[in-house]
Amino acid sequence: MGRILLVLRLVAADVRRHPAQAAMMLMTITAATAALSLGMSLRGTTDTLYRQTRAATAGPDVVALTPGGDKAATSALRSLTRAPEVTAHSGPHRQYYTTVTAHGLTSAAVAQGAGAAPGPVDRPLVTSGTWVRPGGVVVERGFAAALRVRVGDRVTVAGRSLPVTGIAVGAGHPVYPGAQMMGPGGGPSDYSGLVWMSEADTGPLAAAGLPVTSLLYLDLRDPAAAQEFVESRRQFGDEHQTNFFTWQFMAEDDARILRQGQPVLVIGSWLLALLAVGGVATLAAGRAAKQTRRVGLLKAVGATPGLIAAVLLGEYLTLALIADALGLAIARLAAPGLANPTASLLTAAAGPSDDTVAATTCVALAMAVLTTLGPTRRALRTETVSALADTARRPGHRPWLNGLSALLPTPLLLALRLIARRPGRAVLHAWSIAVMMIGATALLMARVQTDFDYGLGSSHLGNVQREQGHNVLLAVTAALAALAAVNIVTITWTTALEARPVMAIARTLGATPGQITAGLSAAQLLPTVPGAVLGVPLGLFLVLSLSPQNTVVPPTWWLFIPVLVAPLATAALTAVPARLAARRSVARTLSVETG
Amino acid sequence: MQDAVLAMLAKEPSHGYLLRERLRRALGPLGESMNAGQVYVTLTRLEKAGLVASEHAEGLPDRPDRKVYALTPAGQRRVAAWLSEVSWPKPNLAEFHLKLAAAAAGRLADPVELVDAQRRELMRRLGEAQRAVLAEPDGSTAGLLLEGIALRLQADLRWLEACERVWSKVVDESEDA
Amino acid sequence: MNEFGAVLQARGLAKEHGQGQGLVRAVDEVDLDVPAGQMLAVTGPSGCGKSTLLHLLGGLERPSRGEVRLAGRRIDALSERALARLRRRSVGFVFQAFHLVEELSARENVELPVLLAGRSPRAAKKRAAMLLERVGLADRARHLPWELSGGQRQRVAIARAMANEPAVLLADEPTGNLDTAATLDVLRLFEGLRAAGQTLVIVTHDERVAATADRVVSMRDGAFVDDTRLAGHATGGLGEMFGLEY
Repeated sequence: MGRILLVLRLVAADVRRHPAQAAMMLMTITAATAALSLGMSLRGTTDTLYRQTRAATAGPDVVALTPGGDKAATSALRSLTRAPEVTAHSGPHRQYYTTVTAHGLTSAAVAQGAGAAPGPVDRPLVTSGTWVRPGGVVVERGFAAALRVRVGDRVTVAGRSLPVTGIAVGAGHPVYPGAQMMGPGGGPSDYSGLVWMSEADTGPLAAAGLPVTSLLYLDLRDPAAAQEFVESRRQFGDEHQTNFFTWQFMAEDDARILRQGQPVLVIGSWLLALLAVGGVATLAAGRAAKQTRRVGLLKAVGATPGLIAAVLLGEYLTLALIADALGLAIARLAAPGLANPTASLLTAAAGPSDDTVAATTCVALAMAVLTTLGPTRRALRTETVSALADTARRPGHRPWLNGLSALLPTPLLLALRLIARRPGRAVLHAWSIAVMMIGATALLMARVQTDFDYGLGSSHLGNVQREQGHNVLLAVTAALAALAAVNIVTITWTTALEARPVMAIARTLGATPGQITAGLSAAQLLPTVPGAVLGVPLGLFLVLSLSPQNTVVPPTWWLFIPVLVAPLATAALTAVPARLAARRSVARTLSVETG
Repeated sequence: MQDAVLAMLAKEPSHGYLLRERLRRALGPLGESMNAGQVYVTLTRLEKAGLVASEHAEGLPDRPDRKVYALTPAGQRRVAAWLSEVSWPKPNLAEFHLKLAAAAAGRLADPVELVDAQRRELMRRLGEAQRAVLAEPDGSTAGLLLEGIALRLQADLRWLEACERVWSKVVDESEDA
Repeated sequence: MNEFGAVLQARGLAKEHGQGQGLVRAVDEVDLDVPAGQMLAVTGPSGCGKSTLLHLLGGLERPSRGEVRLAGRRIDALSERALARLRRRSVGFVFQAFHLVEELSARENVELPVLLAGRSPRAAKKRAAMLLERVGLADRARHLPWELSGGQRQRVAIARAMANEPAVLLADEPTGNLDTAATLDVLRLFEGLRAAGQTLVIVTHDERVAATADRVVSMRDGAFVDDTRLAGHATGGLGEMFGLEY
C-alpha cells in the first residue's frame, strides 16, 4: 500500500513539475482517440439514430409502394393489410413528384398527402410548428435544413406558394435526399426532399397531372421478419409492380448516405495517432536525460527496478487513460452531429460501443507504452552512478556531418551540429511534417473534385454527403495541423533545452544570440523539407487508392503549396521558442552546469 | 643534514666532491645554493665524532676534497637508528601566534596587518617553490621535495587566512567596545 | 592598448542581484587594471564574487554599474551581438567544468571558435592542429571529450580558448576539477602562455595556482582586500628560503 502511495506521489509530483508537458501529451493522445472513436462509432451511431427515430415516430416495419394513384394501385396495396402478419397500417398515401422552391433554391421533392392526424403507423414527430393543415406544408427536417427554411417561411410547391406550418422528422422515408424511394412510374429514384401536405392541398397536384406513387405503411407482428414478409409478397405483385422497403433496408440506406465521412475519420485517426506517437516520443525522449537522473536517485535510495518502472510508466499510462476518456467523451458529443448532418433523424446521444472503447484504450495505452518503453528501459539499465552523473546518454560523434557543417555559415553550422546531436529528433520532426502533408494533400485533392448537387440547376443546394466529407476532412486536417504545430514547438523547445549548455559554450566562443536563434530554427527547418517532399506523394497515393476512378488530380503546382507552406510555418513556429532559448543568460547556464 | 650525509656514505666510501654531487642531485633546485665548504664542514664534524673515517689517497696533497670518506661501525649504527626514527620537524606556529597575541594585547601593531604581510611573504615563497615544481620534469624525485614545500606553504597560507578571519573580528569587537 | 597600457580595465565595476533585503553585491565597486602580458590571479573564498567579476570582464554578464574596457574599448554597454563578436576575437574562456562540446572531438572543439569567426575550414583545421600540438595532445585530436582525462580535457579547452589569439584569456577555477599532476600540466601551459606574452586572468581558490601569477588580488564580499605583486620579489634562493641546515 505504502509503495503504491509512493508511486502515486512521485507521479503526481512529476506531473505538477511539468504541467505543460503533461497537458501536451494529454492533448495529443486525446485528439487521436477522439478521431478513432468517431470513425469507429459513426456507423453504429447512424444505426442508433435511426432506431431512436423509428421508435419515436412509430416508424413502419415495411413501406410498400406502387406507381400511380388510382383505385387499382391503392387496392393492390390495401390487399396487403389483410395479410396475417400485418398488425397495423397507415395509408395508402400518395406522393407527388414535384419541385419545391424556397429562398430562390429549387429542389426536386415528393409531396406526400397526409391526414390532419397521422395514422397508427408512421407518426412523424413535429420538431417545430404544427402538423399539416389545409393551406400549409410541413417540411422534412433534413430538407428544411438544406433549403434553409423555418416555420412561417413560404415555399413554392408545384408553382403554388404555401406557408411552412411545421418541420417534422419521420422514419417512413430514408433521410434527405433519399425521400423518393421509387421514381415516377416505378422508375429509378432520384435525389429529392420530402414535404407533407393536407389531402385537400394535393388535389391541385393531381389535377396538374404530376406523376404519383401510392405508398402504404405496415407494422408486422415480428419486425425482425420484415425481409421474409417482403420476399413472400413480391411474387404477387405482377400486375402492379409493388416495391417494398423494409426498415432494416432504410437503416442501411441512411448509413450509406451518411458514410462519406467515415474513411476520412478512420484514416485521419490513424494519421493523428501517428502524429501523436511522434509528439509523445519527442516528449519522452526530451525528458529521458532528466528521467535517467531521477532513476539514478531512486536507485540510490534503494528503489527496486519494478517500482521505478511503475513510476515512469505509471505517469504516461495514467495520462493516456485520461486522454482516452476525454477522447471518447468528445467523440460521444460530436458523433450525432457527424452521423446526422442532414438532421433527418432525431439527434440523441449515442455512446461509443464497447468495441470502440476497447480499441481506443488499446491505442492510447500502446502509444504511451511504445514511446516510453525505450527511455524507461534505458533508464533502468543504466548503472546508478553513471545515471547520477548523467553520462548515460552521450550524443554520438558524427565526424562527416561536423566536417560538412564546417563549410557552412554559422547558423547552418550550428543547425547541422544540433541535428547531429540527436538525429532521432530530426526524423521525428520529418515524420510529423510528412503526416501533416498527407492530410494537407488530401484536403487539396478534395477541393478540386467536381461537386454535383441535388438542386435543379442551382448549385447552392449543397450535396450533404460531400459537404459532410469536406467538413470532416477539414476538421481532421485542422487537428493534424494543430498536432503538428504542437509537435514542432515541442521538438524545438526540447532541442533548445538539451542544447542549452552547448549553445552557451558557443556563445562564450562568440556566437551571437541571433546566430543561436537562427541555428535552432534551421535545425527544425532542415528536416521539414524531406518530410514535406515525402508527405505530398504519400498523401496523393493514399487519396487515389481510396477514391473512385474519375478522381481529378489537381495541377502539379498546387501540390507545391504545402511543400512551401510547411517550412514557412515551421520557421514561424520555431522562432519564439528558439529566441527564448537563445536569450537565456550564458553565465547562469554554465554555472548551473558546473553545480 | 649530518644524518643525511652519513646515510649517503652507507652504500660505499666516497670522495667529498662525489658526495656533494649526490646531495645536490637529490635536492634538485634546492641544492643549487649548497657550496662545497658546507659539506666538508659537516664531514669534519662527523669525523671528530668518530662516525666517519677518512683515508688519504696516495700521492695527493692532504686536502679534504682528496680524501675518501667511509662510515665507522658507530657511524653505521647511527645510520640504522636514523632510518628507523620517526621524528618529524615540528611546525613552529606558536611563535607567530604569540606575535599576533602580543601585538594585539599591547597595541603594538595591527595583527591583521601582520598577517597580511606574512601572507604576502609566504605567497612569494610559494610562487618560487611552485615555479620550481613546474620546471621539474614529471617523475623527478627532487620535484617531490619541492612539492612537499609547496604543500606546506599552502597549509600555512590557509592557516594565515584563518588567522586573518578571526583576528579581524577580534579587532573589530575591541574597537566597538 | 590605451593610454594606461592596460589590456583590461575596470572602473567602479558593480554587479548586484536581487533587491531590497535580498540585495546581493556580487561585485562591489571594483577598479582593476591588467597590463598587457600580466598573469593576474584573483583569489578568495567561494561566493566572494570572483567568478562574477570574470564574467563581467569577459562580457558574459552585464554590470549593474561601472565600466569595463577591453583593449581600450568600452564593452559594458555593447549589445549581445557586439559582445559575441568581441568574445570571438578578443576573449578566451576556460572553465572549471571544461565545457567542451561532448559530441565533438578534441580537434573539432578547437576548430569551433575559428569557424565561428568566419575563417575557412582549412584554416580552422591548421590552427587546431597547431594548438593541440602546443598543449601536447596532437595524438588525441580525434578523441571525444569523455575519452580524455580531466587534465587533457582542460588542455583542449585551453587550446580552444586560444584559438583566435585572444587579447586576454579568462580562466575560472581552471584546476578546480583536476588532480595534482593535471593541475601541474595546466599551470605549465599557463606559464608557457605567459612567457609568450599572453595576458591571463585566473580566478582560483587554490593558493598554489595563484602563487604562479605575477600578481594576486584577494576578494572578499565582492571587493578587493589585497593586491600583491609576486614576481621579482623573492628573497634569496630557494635553498635559503626553505632553510637547509648543516
